Amino acid sequence: MQLGLYIDQNRCMGCFACIVACKDWHDVPAGPASWIRLKIMEKGAYPDLLVAFLPTACWHCESPECVSVCPAEAIAKRDEDGIVTVDRDVCLGRDDCGACLEACPYDAPQFGAEENAKMQKCDLCVDRWAQAKKPVCVSSCPVQALDAGPMDELRAKYGDVREAEGFTCLAPLAPSVRFKPKENAASLDLRRIDVFPRSG
Amino acid sequence: MNAEQTASEDKIVTTVCNSHCGGICDFKVHVRDGKIIRIEAVPEEDGRPGMCLRGHAYRQRVYSPDRLLHPLKRTGPRGSGEFARISWDEALETVAGEMQRIKAAYGNASMLHFCSMCDPHVLHHVLAFHSLLCGFGGYTAPWGYISCEGNAFAEGVTFGKSSRIGYTPHKPDEYQEARLIVMWGWNPATTEMGSGVSLSLARAREKGARIVAVDPRYTDSAAAFASQWIPIRPGTDAAAMLAMAYVIIDENLQDRHFIDEHTHGFDKFKEYVLGREDGVAKTPRWAEPITGVQAETLADLAREYAREKPALLGSSFGPGRSAYGEQYHRMAAALETITGNLRLDRYAPKPKDFRFLPPFPFQPNPVEKEAPLRWNAIPSRGPSVNSSARVNVSSFANAILEGKAGGYPADYKFLWLSNTNYLNQLGNINKAVKAFKKLEFILVTEQFMTATAKFADIVLPVCTFLERCDLMPPLNVFSSKRRNFTVLSKAIEPLGESRSQLAICQALAVKLGISGYPDQSDEELVRQMVAMVSANEKLKTEGTPKKEPAASTKPQLRTPSGKIELSSGIAEKMNHPDIPAVPKYIETWESLNDPLAAAYPLQLISPHFKRRAHSQFDNLPWLRELQPQAVSINSRDAEARGITEEDMVRVFNDRGEVRIPARVTERIMPGVVALPQGAWYTPDENGIDHGGSANVLTRSITSPGGALPSHTALVQVERV
Ligand code: SF4
Ligand code: SF4
Ligand code: SF4
Repeated sequence: MQLGLYIDQNRCMGCFACIVACKDWHDVPAGPASWIRLKIMEKGAYPDLLVAFLPTACWHCESPECVSVCPAEAIAKRDEDGIVTVDRDVCLGRDDCGACLEACPYDAPQFGAEENAKMQKCDLCVDRWAQAKKPVCVSSCPVQALDAGPMDELRAKYGDVREAEGFTCLAPLAPSVRFKPKENAASLDLRRIDVFPRSG
Repeated sequence: MNAEQTASEDKIVTTVCNSHCGGICDFKVHVRDGKIIRIEAVPEEDGRPGMCLRGHAYRQRVYSPDRLLHPLKRTGPRGSGEFARISWDEALETVAGEMQRIKAAYGNASMLHFCSMCDPHVLHHVLAFHSLLCGFGGYTAPWGYISCEGNAFAEGVTFGKSSRIGYTPHKPDEYQEARLIVMWGWNPATTEMGSGVSLSLARAREKGARIVAVDPRYTDSAAAFASQWIPIRPGTDAAAMLAMAYVIIDENLQDRHFIDEHTHGFDKFKEYVLGREDGVAKTPRWAEPITGVQAETLADLAREYAREKPALLGSSFGPGRSAYGEQYHRMAAALETITGNLRLDRYAPKPKDFRFLPPFPFQPNPVEKEAPLRWNAIPSRGPSVNSSARVNVSSFANAILEGKAGGYPADYKFLWLSNTNYLNQLGNINKAVKAFKKLEFILVTEQFMTATAKFADIVLPVCTFLERCDLMPPLNVFSSKRRNFTVLSKAIEPLGESRSQLAICQALAVKLGISGYPDQSDEELVRQMVAMVSANEKLKTEGTPKKEPAASTKPQLRTPSGKIELSSGIAEKMNHPDIPAVPKYIETWESLNDPLAAAYPLQLISPHFKRRAHSQFDNLPWLRELQPQAVSINSRDAEARGITEEDMVRVFNDRGEVRIPARVTERIMPGVVALPQGAWYTPDENGIDHGGSANVLTRSITSPGGALPSHTALVQVERV
């Protein structure tokens, strides 16, 4: 079984509730590490504009590059639900290694400001699933833009769209996320992308 | 065992956040060993969590290293922020002594008390202070909702009552039925986070409603929900709406039946719109150069709004916070009315929800007793708010500086601000600084060393709402929320030596020798209130209740005519050129036609920011990293000034200067710059603010109807 996320990009209004809820739940201080961020894409020119929001975390890939490159076997993919977790006690640290950061095309591995920081990242709220709760980003979204569950259920419910404004599906990794992409976004030129909290 | 208990040994406390944002959001507070470890949202009936980023960051607020945990006395000059820790006893003795001295020397009217809506629950709120100060012989209170006096005025003169003081008044079903939704200066994705409005808008859009945003900014609500953006110049909304009314009347699209049955004064309104009153027809061509909106765009929107029924006009308090902001609200009401889109059940008597009063000895303010009503009183605001002994919030700095000689009711010597950053949140901070320096004594009760607290002589530390008990009444003004009384339990003990607002009032009551002030703990008082509520409930079910109007959908309008007044009898009686009987467009001061525009050619607006509720939460790291404080400027205006993204710029006018990075964006119309309100004023030795506080640049003046004109200010922006 593979757990994953669904994102309705037409619903997301960029409110940041999911970001702060995640920081509070997982006790992640302000600073360079953030398990989930919000990408804001501005397209077009005044007054013909379009702005799309996209929450981005770890996509718990079916073939996770981070797992393959980690020399210490600190990163593992769980058999029972496909969640990719990291054992911080085993991680060699960013300064001494940092291979996962290089390898992940989605900037999902996170490192705090401390010296040789150990990797941390979205664990799809493993602890909450154990309490029969969905991930905290999902349950904190005031417009219900997010959902999480077994991928086959998400596909059955929402379809099989793999890309959205600001997200490219890298097929060999098979990221576990499906979308309802922002409507009418194709016709305008991308002008700027902001990501909050800013990384690094 | 349920899942929640298996999770850990944590204690889970439920309470309600109400951070003066309009939200009233249920909190599930996880406590371990007397410490809050996390805060979780509680789903509403529809499964939607009612909680925002600020609520999720509340733990960081409670344990912030900046929390004030001891009483302080000022040791340096006012504003320097130099303080020394003192004991509660010394602090209270000093405050009581100063209060008695000032009362004896200048009288009670010289004492100003302003109370914010920091966490407006019941016990620890305005009644606690009011009761204490009335027991002391009275005080001068302010009048004017900072957020929405323009709306209160408009509703008062048009309908004789106000249907909303918090959120927009539309019920969830109105969004689902609507075919057209116009978000007019309304950005609920940012300003109504705890409500279900955004979800309703998302669903309406999915059901096929067309959503249009009329706003100087391409807001996050526009981005998420709208299919059309109509940029409009600040302060000109009433002109655009008049042009829409012109098209509707000229093309006979009005709802005749609704107008005949429910309104008074349509003909007079029509005379003005068509230009028979003043020789100026309010056509879209007339409005185009004023508003910056093309005539055809306005005409199309007018036709669509009149024809696509039901259509929902989402007006907002924002555009009302400008010079003559009340005219915008009056025009919005007029448009809803003449098209028959107005839901009259909004004005139906509501079942009375306040079935109890907090246990404070209630008394009218002795200072207001003899005073006549002020000239712009509107009956719906009640005799106390209408008293001429009060000072309008927007002009309190002027009142302190000018006193009786300037026509204000008294000379002011003492100021008590409870949980309010007034210096920061009202017009013209540099003037307010002078006013604060003139006072003999300033008491601030606060959680943090705010810009305002720095001017206090004594600062008393107040705990957060998670450190005390209270009761939350049902509030049916917030459309879908809070139908029942909720007990707000204490999650943890007050940090350090901080005390609740009520405990501070109780301690002062003892020092001041005021008798009859309740001396029980908040827990005990909550128990009493709960007993009172259940006794009332019982009475009700047993059929011998106090008189309560049955819920009805028949509107009850308290205007002179008993109808919706498109020409207002109340306004007419004021007999003032700036408060016309019919809603009008009145050009604002500091418009682009003002001679000042030669030096200061940009219109400054100061919108709400997600990471703050006004000036609250500005200091929390989890929130600061999400939205950098910056001035938004259109790329054309930026280019003309050689400004690029993140350049440090000076935003200035004759009133002051702010230094802040620029955000160069397409999301704001040329000629307008936006500096989000609420950032903490942080002046350098030359008085230049580096915190990005918009009110350094705004004016301390009141709109004729009482609105705070914070979106009416001309500025210039230059690269540093
Ligand atoms: S998104 Fe990156 S970190 Fe997450 S599983 Fe895929 S490769 Fe690994
Ligand atoms: S909580 Fe929902 S709407 Fe808000 S940023 Fe996250 S996904 Fe978007
Ligand atoms: S909207 Fe946010 S700040 Fe306001 S009451 Fe709800 S959680 Fe608190």
